[in-house]
Amino acid sequence: MMRQRQQRQERAWGSSEGLALRNISHGFDGTDVLDDVSLAVEQGETVAIIGPSGTGKTTLLRVLALFHRPDGGTVEVEGTDVWTRSERERLEVRRRIGMVFQEANLFDATVRRNVSYGRHIRRGWRDRLTHWLSRIGGEDTGEGVAEALDVVGLAEAETRSATSLSGGEAKRVAFARALAYDPDFLLLDEPTSDLDPRNTAVIEDAIETARARGLGVAIATHDMHQAERVADRVAVVLEGRLIEFGPAERVFTNPDDPRARKFIDGELVYGTRTGDRRDPSDLQE
Amino acid sequence: MIELVSSVVPVGGGFTPLVVDFPFERNYVESIIYVSLYVSLTAVLLGTLVSLPIAILVGFSQFPGKGFVVALINTGMGFPSVVVGLVVLFAVSNQGPLGTFDLVFTTEAMIMSQFVLATPVITGVSLAAVTSVEDGVRDAAYAMGGTRLDVALVTIKEARFGIATGILAGLGRAISEVGSVLIVGGNIVSADGTSVTRTLTTAIQLEARQGRFELAMILGAILVTLVLLINGIVLRLGGGRV
Repeated sequence: MMRQRQQRQERAWGSSEGLALRNISHGFDGTDVLDDVSLAVEQGETVAIIGPSGTGKTTLLRVLALFHRPDGGTVEVEGTDVWTRSERERLEVRRRIGMVFQEANLFDATVRRNVSYGRHIRRGWRDRLTHWLSRIGGEDTGEGVAEALDVVGLAEAETRSATSLSGGEAKRVAFARALAYDPDFLLLDEPTSDLDPRNTAVIEDAIETARARGLGVAIATHDMHQAERVADRVAVVLEGRLIEFGPAERVFTNPDDPRARKFIDGELVYGTRTGDRRDPSDLQE
Repeated sequence: MIELVSSVVPVGGGFTPLVVDFPFERNYVESIIYVSLYVSLTAVLLGTLVSLPIAILVGFSQFPGKGFVVALINTGMGFPSVVVGLVVLFAVSNQGPLGTFDLVFTTEAMIMSQFVLATPVITGVSLAAVTSVEDGVRDAAYAMGGTRLDVALVTIKEARFGIATGILAGLGRAISEVGSVLIVGGNIVSADGTSVTRTLTTAIQLEARQGRFELAMILGAILVTLVLLINGIVLRLGGGRV
């Protein structure tokens, strides 16, 4: 799996700068949500994006996942601006990215069908038909499904209906679904919100497993303790602006921005869109 | 003239069999059932093929006049069948645009009228089903690398029970319809007593008009049984969730 990923990387567009946002601005209906945000996720590291609710973390992840074409700035994979490429090439990039949403968003099907979906749509139409026929004949091996479910501790749930899962189990299946097609980057939007400590621990272990496999992981969370536990680097976002980005240890002990310090200390923080504006390139470490 | 068909039904192993007189020629009943099913199922099949892409396109996209299109579909759901029959009759008559095909009083014309009646129903219910699929499900399919077609297929699959309900509603509208098939089909029976364009509903209408209520009721029971049977099959296929 690691070698496949390395080959894909070498085949791709040159350097290994991972998945990056450069000076991204984006908004909806005339309201700015992201303002001049720059950050990068390298393969084999976990970046935590923290900040108060409604600060633009989800939008940031959705721009990274190529759901939205940003109003300004570039989304780059290995140094190439993705949005200057053809739709076919963008599809190839999208297929290197996995995303887990705040809600599990599982399909009304078995766990196996959910987890195998990513691999299924990567097949050509002829292969899909052959696979479908073999499934009717009872020969569905569910390639990669057991392994992905094993990572989240649900190996025995393969044949269960997704509708029969608890909230925590559904989130874990959503995580397995994103892992099963072997992406290079994994984007997690509040993956443990509303989960009990046990399910949270399972997900955090799975994040560690993904990182150890060489995936670049970006996790949006407002749980600072979780960010401290899982992240190599931390980005602090306030009102759509990146106010701090650096190694987790430094950001949590000695952040440059006083607002980041306040947020980490659990104090109320108010952004000032008109206030002092830092050059995002100064924040890269 | 009418030859009675008797069915012998043994009851509980008793000595005297229960004999039910069935006051129609077997060919006659079989042929009107066949015409009813042929016309309605064909119309619904064609209607489904047209409705699903429309429901997906309208449900997925934003365009100027979308509200008007939805209103048009909803209006079509309540179209008076007699008006549809008149329009189709005009279309297939000698003066109409399809006059050269000689379709007046044929099953093809009946299929056309039932298609016009069933399609808005299937489209409207399917559209509601498709738009009720949560955005998150579509997002998940997209995030996993799905193309637009993949996302559309996932949406259809998620909405399958609603779509099946729409198809059933369309079939119900088609098979229970009298006015338009009477106008464009003519309720014709051939010299040998088999139906040419007579359906169960037009036969019921004829028997009731002639005061043969008992016969009309028997045909009505057959029609209801058929609809129940089709619903049961779809319910079974849908795992009881339609």
